[in-house]
Amino acid sequence: MSHEEHVSDAEAGFVLSTLEHDQLVAAKREPVPRRQLKGGELALAWALRLYLVFMLLVVFWQAWLAVK
Amino acid sequence: MSAGTQPERRLQVLAAEEDVVVTHEDIDRAVDRARVSAARSRSTLRSRAWLLWLLIGPGILVMLGENDGPSMLSYAATGARFGIGFFLPFVILTFGMAVVVQEMTVRLGAATHRGHAELIFERFGPFWGWFSMIDLGIGNFLTLITEFIAIRAGLGFFGVPPWAAILVALAVLYSALLSHRYWTWERVTLAAAAFNLIFIPVALMAHPHWGGVGHALVTWKPLPPFGRDTVLIVLSDIGATVTPWMLFFQQSATVDKGMTTKDIRFGRIDTLLGAALAAAAALGTILATAVLFGHISAETFEAAQFAQALQPIIGRFGASLFALGMVEAGIVASITISTSSAYAFGEVAQRPHSLNLPVNQGKSFYTVLGLCAAAAAGIVLIPGLPLVFVVLVVNVVAVLAMPPALVFLYLLVNDKEIMGGVKSPGWMNVLAAAVVVVLTAAGMLYGISVVAPNALAWLGRL
Repeated sequence: MSHEEHVSDAEAGFVLSTLEHDQLVAAKREPVPRRQLKGGELALAWALRLYLVFMLLVVFWQAWLAVK
Repeated sequence: MSAGTQPERRLQVLAAEEDVVVTHEDIDRAVDRARVSAARSRSTLRSRAWLLWLLIGPGILVMLGENDGPSMLSYAATGARFGIGFFLPFVILTFGMAVVVQEMTVRLGAATHRGHAELIFERFGPFWGWFSMIDLGIGNFLTLITEFIAIRAGLGFFGVPPWAAILVALAVLYSALLSHRYWTWERVTLAAAAFNLIFIPVALMAHPHWGGVGHALVTWKPLPPFGRDTVLIVLSDIGATVTPWMLFFQQSATVDKGMTTKDIRFGRIDTLLGAALAAAAALGTILATAVLFGHISAETFEAAQFAQALQPIIGRFGASLFALGMVEAGIVASITISTSSAYAFGEVAQRPHSLNLPVNQGKSFYTVLGLCAAAAAGIVLIPGLPLVFVVLVVNVVAVLAMPPALVFLYLLVNDKEIMGGVKSPGWMNVLAAAVVVVLTAAGMLYGISVVAPNALAWLGRL
C-alpha cells in the first residue's frame, strides 16, 4: 500500500467500502468499450443529422427575415 | 484526467488484487452515499422520507431549470395569443414527453456512472461524439444568452440598469459554486428553483375562468387556428420542455450525485415531481397571461413588457412577482445550463468534472462554467445586437436538435453491455420512439410552414 498526501488510510477505506467500484474517479479513466453502429442505426443517425442541418437553415432564414 | 492532477492515494486492495486511486472527489461522494445507505437501512416512514429528500435533485433541477427565460416567455406568449384552450393540455403532454426522455438519463447515469457526452464519445466514437457536442455547445450558448436577456428584462421592470442586472445574475451563479460540494450546490440551486412556482400566485391574481380551464383540460378546446403562428408556438412550447441540454445535465448530475441502480426508483420520483412542479408553473404562466388574450399583440414581447401589460389587471405587486419569476427562471437556468456545458467539456476532454472538486483541482471545469456564463452575459450587454433573433430561434433549435440526440440516448439505454438489467423495456422504447416521431413531425410541420406556407394552409383544410 503506497502513501500519497491529503487522503488518510481511514478515508480511503471509507470510500472503498461505500462507493461501487465503477463510481471511483479512477475507474472512470477506463474507457467504455467501443461499438459500431449497425446499418439501420447508421442510416437513422445520418438521416436525422441531415434533417437537423436542413431545418437549421430554415430557422435561421426565417429568423433573419423576421429581424429584418 | 491524468493521475497525479489531484491529491490522491494509491491503495493496494489486496482482496481484489488491483490498484485503486482514491481522490477527494471520491471522499465527498462517499459521504453523500453513506447518508443514503444509512437512510436506506431503516424502514420507518420518516427514514423513507429522508431517503427521498437525499435522492431528489437532478430531476427537479432539470425540469425547473428548463422553465427558463425563453420557456416562460413562450408560455406567456401562448396565454396572451391563444387564451385558455388547446395549449393547457398540450403543455401537460409535453411534460409527459420530458419525463419519458429524462427517465432514460437517470437509468443511464445510475447504471454506467458516466456522463452522456462521455458515453457517446467512447461508445460510438468521436465522429458522432463531436456532432453531439457541437449541437449541445451551440444550443447551450444561445440559450444562455436568452437567460441573461430574461434577467435583464425582468430586473429592468424595477428600473435596474442592464449592467447591474447582469452582474447580479453572475454573482448568484458564482456564489452557488463557492461550496465546491455537489450536495450544497444542488440544495442552493433547488431553493432558488422553488421560486419558479411564483407564477402560480400570479395566475390566481389574474382570476382565470376555472370552468374554461376544466373544459380545456378535458376537451383540448377551443382549438387554435391552424397556421404558421400556431405551429411556431407549438414548437416553442415543446422546446420549452424537451431540450438536449437536459439529457446531458441530468445524466451528469445523477453521476455526480453518486446515484446507483438502487436509486433509480427515487430518480423516477424526482423526475416526476420536477415535471409536476414545472408543469404547474408553466400552466400558471399561461393562465396569468390569458387575461391579455384579445387585448395585445404578443409577437415580440419581452418579460418586462408582459409584466407591464399585466399590471393594470393584477396590480403592481402581481406584475412585480411576474417580473421576478422571469429573473428567477433566467438565473436558475443559467446555473444549470452552464454546468451542463462544463460537465460535457470535462467528459470529452477527460478533465476533472465534478461540483465536488476544489477550484485548484477542477480549474478547467470551473473555467468553462464561468466563461460560458460570462460570455453570454457580455453579449447581452453589447448595444445594437439583434438579440430578438436569438429569442425567436432558441426553443425551435432545441426541438430540432432533439431527434438526433434521442437516437443516441435510445441506443445507449438499450445497450445491454453497459446497462445490464436496467436496459429499457419494450413499452418504454415505444414511448421513446413516439417522442422522436412527434418531435420530428413538429419540426417538419414548422419547415413546411416556412418553406411552403400554401402547403400548410392545404393541410389545415384537411
